[in-house]
Amino acid sequence: MHFLDRAHSVAQPGFSRWMVPPAALAVHLCIGEIYGFSVFNVPLTRILGVTQSAPGDWTIPQISWLYSTALILLGLSAAVFGKWVERNGPRKTMFVSACCWGGGFLIASLGIKLHQFWLVLLGYGFIGGIGLGLGYIAPVSTLVKWFPDRPGMATGMAIMGFGGGALIGAPFGSELMKHFASASSSGVMESFLVMGSIYFCFMVFGSLTVRVPAPDWKPEGYVPSTAPKKLVTSAHVTADQAIKTPQFWLLWAVLCLNVTAGIGILGQASNLCQNMFGVPKAVGDGFAGFLSIFNMGGRFFWSSTSDYTGRKNVYFLYFLAGAALYSLVPLTQQIQNVALFVLVTALIISMYGGGFSTIPAYLRDIFGTMQVGAIHGRLITAWSMAAVLGPQLITYIAEYQKAHQVPVAQSYNVTMYLMAGLLVLGALCNFLVRPVHPRHHYTPPDAQPDLAKPAAAAR
Amino acid sequence: MNTNKSSTVKLCLAWFVVAVPLSWGVFKSVQKSMPLFGMKSAAAVAQPK
Repeated sequence: MHFLDRAHSVAQPGFSRWMVPPAALAVHLCIGEIYGFSVFNVPLTRILGVTQSAPGDWTIPQISWLYSTALILLGLSAAVFGKWVERNGPRKTMFVSACCWGGGFLIASLGIKLHQFWLVLLGYGFIGGIGLGLGYIAPVSTLVKWFPDRPGMATGMAIMGFGGGALIGAPFGSELMKHFASASSSGVMESFLVMGSIYFCFMVFGSLTVRVPAPDWKPEGYVPSTAPKKLVTSAHVTADQAIKTPQFWLLWAVLCLNVTAGIGILGQASNLCQNMFGVPKAVGDGFAGFLSIFNMGGRFFWSSTSDYTGRKNVYFLYFLAGAALYSLVPLTQQIQNVALFVLVTALIISMYGGGFSTIPAYLRDIFGTMQVGAIHGRLITAWSMAAVLGPQLITYIAEYQKAHQVPVAQSYNVTMYLMAGLLVLGALCNFLVRPVHPRHHYTPPDAQPDLAKPAAAAR
Repeated sequence: MNTNKSSTVKLCLAWFVVAVPLSWGVFKSVQKSMPLFGMKSAAAVAQPK
């Protein structure tokens, strides 16, 4: 298995760096399936009853633990294994991620066959969740190193794949279940088996395609800017040191608040549209599908834009324009202008996606490239936190509104204003981001002043 | 020259492999979002005259 080592994946002269984005996309398109997991919710509650839930069948709250556990493990594994990823390189990491993600599906499939929930949780939630975390951070630092001239665009391409993974995973799962459904099976077990196998092969393709640049490699004709930029460092900060800086925690808050605010719309898009405008379910579902395209496109568009505007400015745009747009949503309901509502929410979601994909480039600017993957891994815990707590917050507000007999059409107004408030708070955190103090910078051992020398000379 | 050719083929192939499922996913989402754009007729269908 030596071919998986970092040393064996160094690119030969003449290798095109444009081979790396499809390798990264191959992994992210697979792991992005997690966002489309909801298509399995109802079928998983009908494993015994097939056409409807029978006594002994799993319940929706049980099933939602699969998704939550996978997302929690995503953050934890990215944080814990970040330095391992940096040491072992993207090829080995992507391969391990493929084994965990694909294998997780297969174990979950066995769990469904035996109707053992703990096995499904172990497979999809725990092992699959670890695959998610490893796969998510694996290509990031590699892409940043291959594209020093356009880091935002490069990470945008990969993380766009995660958004795209949901677009593929949900209809793919539905089509497979339809194909395998029979009088005795809802088709979930077979679908998991097929999906796990296909995802494994696809991710291995990414793993074998990826290369790391040689240490002295630079893009042809690339001349690093000599004009100093206040928020773009040429120094490096290690992952262990980074978490001791206020900048890390400010960016943690930036990501957490951006994700929480985005979930305000994305998590309940269909119901939101139906309840605010009284449209049929098909239209509500269409609205959710429409938003997911903007979620994916925004990841590429906004992150690429940040290469020209600077990361801090683009985050100001996400937060301040996002807050203004959220405040507009109740107005669109009052004047019953669905087109304006769709436009406003699509812009919000595009910036929500942009927040995900711009963060690795922001980290690279602040902490340098040396351990940016590991630092990114630790920052991903903000996403896990927001993905678990965000929907709880939304549900609580909705229940509170219902208890106080607020009309359904207006019951989302408080949520929208709250999300706008969170984004303003995010803008404040972004405002406070300053360059890292030089005392946190990494100094190579041979460049450190030798403290023993004066003592030896004195003797 | 031959190396360049083969790397161009590999490059196109790699992008093709990821572009196909991604395009399918985008197509499915656009298809799913169609009722949103034909909303008036959908609403009219929902409300009997």
